Amino acid sequence: MSNRRGVGLGAFTNKNQTSQSYASHGSQLKSLNAASLQTQLSVFQSLLHTFALEHAADIKSNPTFRAEFARMCNAIGVDPLAASNVKGKRTKSLWARVLGNDVNDFYFEVAVRIVELCRATRTENGGLLGVTECCQMVAKGKAIGGGLQITEDDILRAVKSLEPLGSGFNVISIGSKQYIRSIPKELNTDQSKVLEVLQILGFVTIAMLQINLQWEKARATTVVEDLVADSLVWVDVQAEETEYWSPQNLLDDRG
Amino acid sequence: MATASSSLTTSSMFTFPPTYSFPPFFSPQPNAQTRSAQLSKWSSLVQSYCRHHRIFKLLLSDALESPLFHNSKLMRRLSAHDAKAVVDYMTSKEGGNRAEWIGPATEKASAWIWWRRPEEWAGVLEAWVDGTGQKGTVLTLYELVEGEATENQEFHGMDMEVLRKSLGTLVKKGKAQVFGGEGQEGVKFF
Repeated sequence: MSNRRGVGLGAFTNKNQTSQSYASHGSQLKSLNAASLQTQLSVFQSLLHTFALEHAADIKSNPTFRAEFARMCNAIGVDPLAASNVKGKRTKSLWARVLGNDVNDFYFEVAVRIVELCRATRTENGGLLGVTECCQMVAKGKAIGGGLQITEDDILRAVKSLEPLGSGFNVISIGSKQYIRSIPKELNTDQSKVLEVLQILGFVTIAMLQINLQWEKARATTVVEDLVADSLVWVDVQAEETEYWSPQNLLDDRG
Repeated sequence: MATASSSLTTSSMFTFPPTYSFPPFFSPQPNAQTRSAQLSKWSSLVQSYCRHHRIFKLLLSDALESPLFHNSKLMRRLSAHDAKAVVDYMTSKEGGNRAEWIGPATEKASAWIWWRRPEEWAGVLEAWVDGTGQKGTVLTLYELVEGEATENQEFHGMDMEVLRKSLGTLVKKGKAQVFGGEGQEGVKFF
């Protein structure tokens, strides 16, 4: 190693030696690094644990705080809800393992509210409930325990937690809005298009569809009739031309 | 006395639910599922409206011109036929028996709206009599409805006929006895 400018035959052995010691030093560094990272990670996890325990109440009650916490978990590549449904196998989710069952239960609780809401409103909106509306309705819910302060983020997470049940609850995007769909049904592109228009205008007429989307009358009529049949729109026959309204703004006077 | 004609125009403002400003609410929905959601919304609106204005007997022809069935701002109204359908729904079991047609079934001109059913009113009366220690005393019907002692009670000023009906349910259960002639009836609670 001392003679770095090795020329001649000796250089070959020297080079070999050098690369070998580089390699060994490298692996040494690597294991050292890995070890320290491992400690860091476990320290971080235990910190997260204490943090979560300490702020469990905040996480449950403060929506912004909870969203930030969830974002933090996402940033370090932890899916808080993963594996939460295989309880029998004792592989609990991070929420459950780190926080105790409390926070995990929180999302299940939200999920239950969502299912209740979807079921209660299904006859009026055909099983399509806007995430924003859902959020508002859960917040002023009259269920036991009163309103729950939650964000849309919580709703999405809760709906995701329902996925393993195969219940057919999922979130779909139409235009700029997200909806929880509680009746498994595919919307074709025309129907989605009309729902998108409804978001903006609140209602549509056959003529509007014909003029703005350049659809033939038959096409527009079919789409609208399909939507009526799926109870996704309400009909107002007292207008000049029959209007089809989205029931999404019907929130709500139940109770 | 609170009947449809006298109190529809009086009383303080009633806050209509958001559905009231939803134009399709006033047209019968062709989809059966949507229709049932619509009817149940109408039922709860009619009940809370009548509760607010203390309407016991709803006269359909009056109600059709009142804000209840006529949203003048929206220029939408319930037709006589649809209003009947709403009350019909309320009288049905599905609608919770929250209404009862008055007179022959063919007429359907007016109906009792049970925002409290007679047996529910009976419970309220009983609780009041019990709470004020008046069991066994004879009270006149007039005194119950118009007396000073009942001024803060919900049943103060209630329709005489509804009162008779509710007392009737108590009589049937043997919890009260009604005597005296029209106009001067008395009641005794046991």
